[in-house]
Amino acid sequence: MMIRGYVIALCLSLFSGVSIAQAVPAIEEAKLDNGVRVLLMEAHNVPMLAMKLVMPAGSRFDAPEKAGTASLLAGMLSDHTAKHDFTAWADLLDADAIHLGASAGRDDFNVSLTVLKDALEPGLDAFAELLLQPGWNQKRFAIMKQDSIASAQKEKEEPGAQASQAGVDLLFAGHPYGHRPGGSMQTLARIEMTDLKQLYRTQIKPEGAVLAVSGDITMRELLPLLNARLSSWKGKATKGLHDIDSPKVVAGQERDVTLPTTQMLVQLLRLGPSRSDADFFPAFVLNHVLGGGGFGSRLMEEVREKRGLVYGVYSYFMPLAVEGPFVITLQTRADQAGEAEQVVRDVIASMAAGKISAKQLKASKENLIGSFAQRMDSNRERVGLIAMIGLYGLPLNYLSAWTEQVERVSLQQVKAQAERYLKPEQWNRVRVGPASAFQAVAPAAH
Amino acid sequence: MPLQRIVMFLLSTCLFISNANAGEIQQTTFKNGAKLVVEEDHSAPVAMVQVWLKVGGRDEVPGKTGLAHVFEHMMFKGSKKLDAGEYSKRISAMGGNDNAFTSTDYTAYFETVPAARVQEVLAMEAERFAHLRLRDEDFQKEIRVIMEERRMRTEDDPNSRMFEELSAASLRLHPYRNPVIGWMQDLQALTIEDVRAFYNKHYVPGNAIVVVVGDVDFEQVKKTVAKTFGKIKVHGDIPARFNPVEPEPFGPKRIQVTLPAQLPMLAVTIPVPVWKPGKNDNEAASLALATHILAGGRSARMTREIVDKQRKAFTASAGYDESSMGLDLWYAYGLLGPKQTTEAFEKSLWALLDDMAKKPVTAKELAAAKRNVIAANVFAQDSLYLRAKEIGRMEVVGTGAENRPLWLKAISHVTAADIQKAVARWLKQERSTTGIMMPAKHMAAGDKS
Repeated sequence: MMIRGYVIALCLSLFSGVSIAQAVPAIEEAKLDNGVRVLLMEAHNVPMLAMKLVMPAGSRFDAPEKAGTASLLAGMLSDHTAKHDFTAWADLLDADAIHLGASAGRDDFNVSLTVLKDALEPGLDAFAELLLQPGWNQKRFAIMKQDSIASAQKEKEEPGAQASQAGVDLLFAGHPYGHRPGGSMQTLARIEMTDLKQLYRTQIKPEGAVLAVSGDITMRELLPLLNARLSSWKGKATKGLHDIDSPKVVAGQERDVTLPTTQMLVQLLRLGPSRSDADFFPAFVLNHVLGGGGFGSRLMEEVREKRGLVYGVYSYFMPLAVEGPFVITLQTRADQAGEAEQVVRDVIASMAAGKISAKQLKASKENLIGSFAQRMDSNRERVGLIAMIGLYGLPLNYLSAWTEQVERVSLQQVKAQAERYLKPEQWNRVRVGPASAFQAVAPAAH
Repeated sequence: MPLQRIVMFLLSTCLFISNANAGEIQQTTFKNGAKLVVEEDHSAPVAMVQVWLKVGGRDEVPGKTGLAHVFEHMMFKGSKKLDAGEYSKRISAMGGNDNAFTSTDYTAYFETVPAARVQEVLAMEAERFAHLRLRDEDFQKEIRVIMEERRMRTEDDPNSRMFEELSAASLRLHPYRNPVIGWMQDLQALTIEDVRAFYNKHYVPGNAIVVVVGDVDFEQVKKTVAKTFGKIKVHGDIPARFNPVEPEPFGPKRIQVTLPAQLPMLAVTIPVPVWKPGKNDNEAASLALATHILAGGRSARMTREIVDKQRKAFTASAGYDESSMGLDLWYAYGLLGPKQTTEAFEKSLWALLDDMAKKPVTAKELAAAKRNVIAANVFAQDSLYLRAKEIGRMEVVGTGAENRPLWLKAISHVTAADIQKAVARWLKQERSTTGIMMPAKHMAAGDKS
């Protein structure tokens, strides 16, 4: 049936000029008996399914001194259950090629499953067992904690991880987004099993949870399979997704981290839009023009193509329940860092002053609209998008209206967003690089 | 592209669309040697176009490492009809993303575009392939970009640096000993003349394979490629590829490097055979399954035994790539925590490998490994990008994309005794090179800037 849907859409596009990217299959919605909201996009071309259960239980629910709690909970739930120790559990999953795991983002805690259609029932059994029958094995907890601390130490040699740590310290001090989901050596060392149990007991609940599904199944087949396995799971999370204050605005702050590298990693950062920002799409298009669009973006053009200073320079923002980070990042030979940073500052200053052409806007919109279908190119990518829609309460036609939303963004709107976000003095800076370079690099101007 | 052709193309798409599922591989070779491979999939209006070249790091001469990759960057610097950067801009305007990648064995240029734009993209690809403008001023800028790329990927990443050193120590002749990005000393010495000579020698139609996967019709694409890549003039013979026979190791080798790392790492490499369809199906499939049992899935032996039970590393893994060319450098490594030693990890690793050479794996392990390899193949069908990449890789190393079913068959026929035999024959300490990375002294944990 889906295939036929595309045929019609394609043939129509010949005559009406409607973009083929709009041939987005609909998202169907249903509720399980226990309140879980199920969102399904059917795709019958490959005999497989991907699903992702999201709940508001991410790293922002960690106690700040115990950052990494949600991540460790994800690790523990994935590792074993009350019925199966870690070896029996691994054998059980591998026997049917069941890809099952949990992880924690800033806002969300998620459980993901990818299975062949012919292993769907054992896959769903395992999914429910992970969720509802945690094992809480103390010995396994000690091992996982120890290995997480070693990983956190290993990260101290990575410039990107160091910048990200310095970035959250600077931008979100005292706020629930003020630590990285994985935690640090110090905070991981403080976490005990009781902390994991506490998070599980308060936040891993069906009411407020969303189950996104994409793949070779219909809602009629799916619902009874889910109800049969999840109906004993009941209750509502203590804190909701939106029980969080906006972070305080920070501007003009700086952090330097010393690492014996040849390059300097330079990040400019500030707060960006939240997921529910009324001007989300204009801001999104602005970022594409700035540095989100790869080749052709203003930053890539000026810093790499014209001057050969970097391999890559990018910008992105992370829209969360409230304002998340907006980041511009580059790496260059340490003695060139001052020059590269100045070019970035000049670009944002000129955009903030309204220097964005209609031609640039058109190029960005064409790329975003044309590449939309790729964003949905696999079941796993689709469940990611559907889960995001469900978690943040976006309209179910979000995907089918997406290209239209982008198309509608005007130059005036983009300029207004540039003025809102790109004034150089509102940005902060993190640098990671060799000690020798910090003295030599000219201080950030203006 | 004239409107009429767009209309024709879309109509034909409408007619053929009922053939919904991932199709079989269709291919043709043109008179000038250029080849086309298509896999139709009409489940979404998207297509992946990839141009694969049988040229990579292995085709560089000594002192010119990194040249194949430099060349990949120069492909975006303008041609007769398109100015520098114009190619990317046009692809972007049609909603595509373009990029490229270089390995020792190949160079590939890929675009994901709406299916209706495939012909346009192919015409542009053929134009830059045949009429590249190679200007020194572009080269001078781009070589700086590449040095930054090397600093980012290798110089400032202790793990990469360690593997670069280890590969160089592991092999004497085979080109997998050189980094694809090139040694910094070579990058500093390359000139635009080197780039031009490389282009004239290697960018010939007989080295090109066009791969298209997605919502297209084979016959239509064939017509387009005949008019574009199929028309590029043959200039000179196709150079034979550098694929020397690596001498057998005489005994174990070791290196130790000291780098600004936080924690030690130990890695082992061993030269092993790659898959030659119809010739060593069982041996290559056995090595693949042995590696999966060691390092794939949740029940991987290296994780279970070395990480979880013996506590000799906090991460341990291994890898084998049957689609390499000439040989594959099989590897295993362990990342060690603050209280774990390279000596103890090394002992555990060899105990595990020796055990596999002495005893057959269990029926349960073998069944799970097969099921997972086959499932991974189905999951990969879910992404056009991965499907096109798989086809391109098999073509470029000479395996032949049409042989994929043969691989899955070979996997399904492997027995526990086959795995035992393959491990005993190839994964031996006296054939291995061991690399140890030790943190530089001042990098002790808890150092605060």
